[in-house]
Amino acid sequence: MSESWIILQPIAILFAGALLMQVIEPVGRALKIEKLRDAFAIAIFGLSLYSLLGIYGEVQTQGQITYFLSPYEPPIGVSFAVDQFSIFMAFVFCLLGLLVSIYSVRYMEGDTGLDKYYSLLMSLVAGLVGVSFAGDLFNLFIFWEAMSLSSYALVAFKKYRWEPIEASFKYLVMSTIGSLTALYAMSILYGLAGTLNITDLASIIPTLEPYPLYLVIIAIIAGFGVTASIVPFHFWLPDAHPAAPSGISAMLSGVVIKAGVYAIVRVLFSIFDPAAFSFGTALVLFGIITLSVANVMALLQRDIKRLLAFSSIVNIGYIIFGFGVGAYALNVYGMGGYSIAALAMMGAIFHIFNHAIGKGLLFLGAGNFIHEAGTRDLMELEGVGKKMPLTGTSFSIGLLALAGVPPLSGFWSKLFIILAGYTVLSDSFMIVTTSIVVLNAIFAAAYYLWLMQRLMLKAPKPRVEHAHEGRGLLSMVLPVVIMSLITVVIGLWPFEIINFADLAARSLLGLVGG
Amino acid sequence: MSMSAADFTLYALTAAILYVIGLYGMAVRRNMVRTVIGLEIITAGINLNFLAFTILDSDLLLLAQYFVVISIVIGAAVATLALMIVIQAYRHYGSVDLRKLSKLRW
Repeated sequence: MSESWIILQPIAILFAGALLMQVIEPVGRALKIEKLRDAFAIAIFGLSLYSLLGIYGEVQTQGQITYFLSPYEPPIGVSFAVDQFSIFMAFVFCLLGLLVSIYSVRYMEGDTGLDKYYSLLMSLVAGLVGVSFAGDLFNLFIFWEAMSLSSYALVAFKKYRWEPIEASFKYLVMSTIGSLTALYAMSILYGLAGTLNITDLASIIPTLEPYPLYLVIIAIIAGFGVTASIVPFHFWLPDAHPAAPSGISAMLSGVVIKAGVYAIVRVLFSIFDPAAFSFGTALVLFGIITLSVANVMALLQRDIKRLLAFSSIVNIGYIIFGFGVGAYALNVYGMGGYSIAALAMMGAIFHIFNHAIGKGLLFLGAGNFIHEAGTRDLMELEGVGKKMPLTGTSFSIGLLALAGVPPLSGFWSKLFIILAGYTVLSDSFMIVTTSIVVLNAIFAAAYYLWLMQRLMLKAPKPRVEHAHEGRGLLSMVLPVVIMSLITVVIGLWPFEIINFADLAARSLLGLVGG
Repeated sequence: MSMSAADFTLYALTAAILYVIGLYGMAVRRNMVRTVIGLEIITAGINLNFLAFTILDSDLLLLAQYFVVISIVIGAAVATLALMIVIQAYRHYGSVDLRKLSKLRW
């Protein structure tokens, strides 16, 4: 453990970028450099990604680094703490931010107020990184709200249409109730323990009466579960994700809902000891309910972005299930369950990465189709892949990866989660729930293939007859192709990222005394 | 005047009731502005809950005040954005009735 101010770099860069954008915009207009703001946004995201490398090096050698942003000593000072799990998430957030900003250069060209768009995108990513770096719960809440406010505004960005306005209001109301419920949990926790610092809480919690703490656990799962879109708190998602501009859909589905998962997991694993509190069973059950309900709903959709939105809920189910298996194993088998927990949580963290890249790819690819064909209806989009071969091929790779077809990246993470579930053959709860997950995975693979067949193999419908991807679309096609390459490369050579995810899982477990 | 555990119960209970009133109001009212007011009532309840605990232990007071002040600021930001969306919805529909918003199913 060590202290270092470099933790603040990515957050400071992104927030400064969001403010400076308002200066860059008039400068660009005065100098008649049309794309100055886009170039600036890409540079800021690149810089934040670069600054993460320095923190990564530090975390690798030190294990955990902390920083107090205040003249006061803790617990008064605003505290930041970065471990392997935080840095893993931050990498995913910034990487997707960079790809989406490249994508937006061309996709958002026809819109006005792009300086505000990029400012909001930067403060969204800054909030996300802040959530993953926060060392105390109230600090986490502040960054959480920075993230949420930016995403409400971004969903409503095309405010001249009715759909984004409705979806954004629904998202705002539900998500705010969620974050207020989590804040309620924090206020109870603060009253009981006298601090909200994560490290201090971890040492104080075992000395407290356990029953009021279950109330806190329930409120945390329900509160952050709204943003993570765990069924039955998911109702906002299928409206909000399709209504947003495609780049923002990719951000919301790719990373914002993962921040919800991160917050749940960070609070439950770092503060409450999974061996002492039996929340693992609840997480496993939430996981399979989320998976099963969202899978059925996804099948009923005709709107391509709605289908992808439901598929995001399905994947949140896998991730929650993976963490649930980890907590369950620690609770039931004690130290004997440590290796199962490490495997399951490594799979879940790996799946966070795979789904962020995979779903980002699918939403951006769908954005390309919609941009060219002008419709979101799957029936009218038939055969669009033949007209747009690069996007179509990448989109298919994304679908296959999320379907879990070997050797693409999604196969590995699902394999680890399912393997962990099947470790203890005598445990009927684990066997039954894992079997439900396997059935769902097969079911999901079937409709991913159905979607792929529709978009790629059918004869092109009249709406897509004039779709094409020329040089003009380079900035839209490039991120999609990069993401499909990442999917293939990670699928063929997953060892580095497995190692990273494993360290992240172990650091998460290490804090609970493992 | 010194406060007792009974006072704590009173304040914490009031906070919980405010939380429930806010949720109830949002569930039964179909007016967008009232929905936003519901959010604000919940925020007030939670802020009160932070302060209620300081009755039991005055060491908590310093940080609790800091939390509540920031929470009020964040609540104001959320309300501003929510009302901005309400204004946009009014421009589209000429109404702030949630039932007029066709896709919204709660």
